[in-house]
Amino acid sequence: MKRLVAGAVLLAGAAAIAQGPAPLPKPETRASRPTATGGEALYLEHCAMCHGPNGMGTGLLARRVQPALLEERKGLGAAFVIAVARNGIGNMPAIPRGEVSDAEMKAIAGYLAAGPHAK
Amino acid sequence: MPDIPLPPGFTALKLTQARRAFESALGAGKVFFEDLDRVGYHDKFAVNDTAHLPAGAIGPTTVEEVQAALKVANQFRLPVWPISRGKNLGYGATAPLMSGSVVMDLSGMKKIVFDEEFGTVLLEPGVGFYDLYDYIQARKLPYWLSTPGNSWGSVIGNALDRGVGYTPYGENTKNLCGLEVVLPTGEVVRTGMGAFKGAPTWGAYPFGFGPAWDQLFVQSNFGIVTKANMWLMPEPESLMGMDVEFDRPEDLKPLVDVIGPLRRERVLQQSPSIGNWMRAAAVATRRGEWTDKPGALDGSVIDAIRKRFGLGWWGVSLRVYGREAVNKASYAILEKAMKAIGPLSLKPTTWVKGQPMEFSGWTGTPITFPMQSANWYGGRGGHIGFSPIIPQSGTAALAQFQRTYARYKEYGMDYQGSFAFGERHLVNVNAMIFNKDDPAMMARIDPFFRQLVADAKAQGYGEYRTHLDYMDLVADSYDWNGGALRRLNERVKDALDPNGILAPGKSGIWPKGQGRRK
Repeated sequence: MKRLVAGAVLLAGAAAIAQGPAPLPKPETRASRPTATGGEALYLEHCAMCHGPNGMGTGLLARRVQPALLEERKGLGAAFVIAVARNGIGNMPAIPRGEVSDAEMKAIAGYLAAGPHAK
Repeated sequence: MPDIPLPPGFTALKLTQARRAFESALGAGKVFFEDLDRVGYHDKFAVNDTAHLPAGAIGPTTVEEVQAALKVANQFRLPVWPISRGKNLGYGATAPLMSGSVVMDLSGMKKIVFDEEFGTVLLEPGVGFYDLYDYIQARKLPYWLSTPGNSWGSVIGNALDRGVGYTPYGENTKNLCGLEVVLPTGEVVRTGMGAFKGAPTWGAYPFGFGPAWDQLFVQSNFGIVTKANMWLMPEPESLMGMDVEFDRPEDLKPLVDVIGPLRRERVLQQSPSIGNWMRAAAVATRRGEWTDKPGALDGSVIDAIRKRFGLGWWGVSLRVYGREAVNKASYAILEKAMKAIGPLSLKPTTWVKGQPMEFSGWTGTPITFPMQSANWYGGRGGHIGFSPIIPQSGTAALAQFQRTYARYKEYGMDYQGSFAFGERHLVNVNAMIFNKDDPAMMARIDPFFRQLVADAKAQGYGEYRTHLDYMDLVADSYDWNGGALRRLNERVKDALDPNGILAPGKSGIWPKGQGRRK
């Protein structure tokens, strides 16, 4: 993850603080995988901003576990994914039901539990 | 089962009745009153975990459902706290100011209506920066966003909280152009040209005829914004600039005095931010990698951080956008100005349409990784920010820095500060990063924050935005003529929200009979 911050573009509070070129990967959204459906599509919509290649969650997980990308992990239990998302963990806020419904969360957890997913 | 936080004057039975009324109005699938929901809408970065606890939440997905929910809230005199997406971490996020309030989560309102010819977009509050980026990418539209360092949140929510981005469209609240608002009594109004039935110019001209109300609904509790037009920047032909480092703390003065006139003259059209070495260290590393000494980082650690990342004491990035010929001329002016004040390093950067793009805030790309700074101390990290508005003066900026840095050392906190340019002002952003698993540190945060408010107040400097904990404190610092603005806000609040149900206490504005107006 060091490459992501070698140029350090960051924010304190809400004001922009930027410095240096930032050789960052392009964010992954649904547009980057137009054939994605089901849990994968929901993952891209609701999770990839932090758990994609350029995300806060990936950066923090990389400090203690590999692979840091959730889609590349194996052995993630669906119940564990749901519990973590609904309660939050470490620096990750909880994901409330108004944002991601129970049905959507179940589909996302099922997708991650079926991993690792090749890219 | 833990006790359910109740609004003032409520019993558990009355709350249950209100919940059932919400279920009847919205459907049970959009009403969230389980214990897990109260966890879900808690403020993750709260300094005080016992404050700002919601009773539950509701998730209307249409304007009509927002109206129906407000009808229930008025019937029961139940406080409702609207959020767009609730990702303004450090300011309260999903949590209400007053415990017992019901959060109205508008995450499910995600409509996007894009005018591809004119670069205006009509957005609902649930549309996040990533959603809008995805929309633009899928259709290959020639427009760039203005994204904040945490782009997880809502586009219009950020503008309604006066958040900022990195491009010439970075003062996001200035790019609002007409709103749709549900007033606390349930009536729907449209501002600007939206008030004119059938006008094709709602997103084109912000003022309409007569008083212009958009800013009335910014950082306020006078209505729920259900749609907003925003302007987007056309993709430029060229992007040029430089990343410049300066060696000494005292270099802040000439930096401000050289950049300020260029910004006011609009040679620079984006808003640069001068920041210290800490930003790189806090994103890329944890404190324990550098030192195990308590208290503010000492000089040897600062030197080591600077050496590893190749930083000065201060750094700033300047960017110009638009036609390549114009940018080349502007760049030459900027480079000459920067070199004249003796930078430690100056690294040019350039991009022309068609070349591989830098995926950063400079190109309006949404990002979240800067929030890794919350992990600086380890443990359950978080942060709040203290951000007063100060004059665009090198002398004022240096004095403000010296006062504030001394306070960081006094309270034993690591200094992360920046000075972000507006056109005529500076925002002095001071991040307080903390570890919620360190009780001694957490006990220092509140007195530290209040000290900084008092120090700034003595200079005539007030905050532009603040966490839920400090909305009354900051509102009270705007005290000209015995607090005439607060009294005006209260008169407006009483007129628009006679039952006092919408976001009591937001920005220090309380309904009659609540909070400090009891």
